[in-house]
Amino acid sequence: MKTKIQRYSFPLWMITLLLFMAWGLVGAYQVLTQGLVLTNLTDLTPWGLWIGIDLSSIALAAGAFSLSAAVYLLKKDELKPVARTAVFIGLLGYTMAMMTLLMDIGRPDRFWHALVYWNIHSPLWEVTMCVALYFTVLTLEVIPILGRADIVQRRWPRLGQGMEWVHVLAPILAVCGLLLSLMHQSSLGATYGVLASRPFWYKSTLAILFLVSALAAGPALTVFASKTAAAITPRAYVENWRLDRVSHFIGWVLVALLYLRVWDTLSMVYTHQPGRTEALHMLTGGQFAFNFWVLEMFLGIIVPMVILLTAQLRERPALHWLALLFVVIGLVAYRWDTNMIGQLVVFSYLPEQIVPLFASYTPALIEWQVGLGVIAFGFLGFSMGVRYLYVVDHRLVETTHETAPVRSGHLSAAEGR
Amino acid sequence: MREKTFPRREFMMMVVAGTAVTALALNAKGLPKFTESTSPEDQVGSEHQWAMVIDLNRCVGCGDCQLACQARNDTAPGASWVRMVESGELNGKPINVPVPCMHCQEAPCVSVCPVKATYKRADGIVVMDYDRCIGCRYCQLACSYGARTFNWQEFTGENPAVPEWGEPEIPRRPRGVVEKCSFCVQRIDRGLAEGLIPGVDPQATPACVVACPRKARYFGDLNDPDSPVSQVLKNHQAVQLRRDLGTDPRVYYLPAANRPDPEADLTCG
Repeated sequence: MKTKIQRYSFPLWMITLLLFMAWGLVGAYQVLTQGLVLTNLTDLTPWGLWIGIDLSSIALAAGAFSLSAAVYLLKKDELKPVARTAVFIGLLGYTMAMMTLLMDIGRPDRFWHALVYWNIHSPLWEVTMCVALYFTVLTLEVIPILGRADIVQRRWPRLGQGMEWVHVLAPILAVCGLLLSLMHQSSLGATYGVLASRPFWYKSTLAILFLVSALAAGPALTVFASKTAAAITPRAYVENWRLDRVSHFIGWVLVALLYLRVWDTLSMVYTHQPGRTEALHMLTGGQFAFNFWVLEMFLGIIVPMVILLTAQLRERPALHWLALLFVVIGLVAYRWDTNMIGQLVVFSYLPEQIVPLFASYTPALIEWQVGLGVIAFGFLGFSMGVRYLYVVDHRLVETTHETAPVRSGHLSAAEGR
Repeated sequence: MREKTFPRREFMMMVVAGTAVTALALNAKGLPKFTESTSPEDQVGSEHQWAMVIDLNRCVGCGDCQLACQARNDTAPGASWVRMVESGELNGKPINVPVPCMHCQEAPCVSVCPVKATYKRADGIVVMDYDRCIGCRYCQLACSYGARTFNWQEFTGENPAVPEWGEPEIPRRPRGVVEKCSFCVQRIDRGLAEGLIPGVDPQATPACVVACPRKARYFGDLNDPDSPVSQVLKNHQAVQLRRDLGTDPRVYYLPAANRPDPEADLTCG
């Protein structure tokens, strides 16, 4: 009986995900043909669930650049196989982000405008450029992984060899990825931070908080996904001591995040500032209080920080696994709360109207439909990656990287040592 | 130990190479221009600086300005380019504040638009290129005055304000772009070309100003000391909404005050 379940669990899982994706596609088709009027977005709350998914996907993809930088710039060779997983998750994350953005903008047919008509003053332009360029970097980083695929090796061995050769570029890709990611992970915060029309957002700390929280949650998702895959299928194989290094690092990033977040919040407590004060109340005592105190702060930062920094606690698989999950949830909560509260407190521009008005937003079913479709795509991509590309395999990678044909050139010098 | 040394030289080489490539690429492409031309007003520094003054003592919130705007700019019902907001009351009567686009001189929407679909003309008017807008709605978040509407759906069918309040003067915008008040830029440009004076000659003046039955709105050139706006601003205390933000709106308000209104007996037409 058990073997039967095991045999059919993968196809069943795939079918479930495909059903969600199909349902999402139906929703996407409706939105693309009938317009965003189908959503619950309004002129007061123009950025909703999809932007939340977009922000979360990009932040959770941050394991790719940070672990690549650790391997190729800081020479943490023991993290190579983890970086391989991270890069694959990164590519999925950015694909998901671009899918939701394409749904969210009113004119998806003009998505390329930002690449052609530059407004160098716009944080969103900078984000778009960086995401486009970084997507290219990630694609190049994933090509060697695809080249390793059995089917490629069997049918087109020379192509596979060529694809694996791209790995020679890894160090320079790591530099580019680090630069681009540091830029756009923070600019995503700055996208909100530069808006004087939203007192709750208008601060320089948002850029820093977005970067630091991504630096914690991106690697956390990588380790979490690796551990989960290894627990479920023999096709994934992890060496816990490697993941442990990353988890320990995440613990320290959480310390920094806690410090920054506490001061950021505390500084808003002083002086009544119309709009900002109401937003802070909404966050700490209103409809977002649970998200803030429980999901963001307690479970999202404090609990995992303690677990990941304490060797004895970290050694307990269940606790370790939960801690990573909480970091991921905490990040999603932080992005969601930040994006929503800034819009729900409507800016007051009339002299007689000191107290701001409040808007409301609940995602429409079709927004969930499309959003879940995109998330299902991410799960599907990762599941297939684990099964067919061995993206979570700490044994395989070592040999792959060592035997990757190194064809002269100064580029390989850094890597070949 | 050599194994562990940080490859500083290679790293520096890569950074230098990357910078050089980027610089070359930028040079080849040429940095984009900062203003896009749709009208002669853009090309050179304009001699005009357009502005509007709204007298809150006179406005009774009848909504005629909204109807005229809806007809001339062919806006969808419920997506007006000029909102009518109630703000407090004076002597038992509500104070109505019409809120069009403020045409800020330091416009946040212009800075944040990722594709420069919104830009400021040399004559101070903030306009939109509806063929360029990607509909990201970032400008809606950036606008401090809620002056922007997004086309959540296609506006099809009859415009209820047409023809009673005038014929549309500009094409309808497609679904999926943001739109906003343009100070009736089409009337200003055409008027100037015909030798008319915006703010004085009705054909060259924004539709809302012309339509106001209480003559609560003034329009004109700040550079012309004889223009209606210059005259009003010289003789009255005017305010800008949220001046503290540094946006420097080109829409001024004469605040409702406890003073006898010489035209208080005028009725709304």
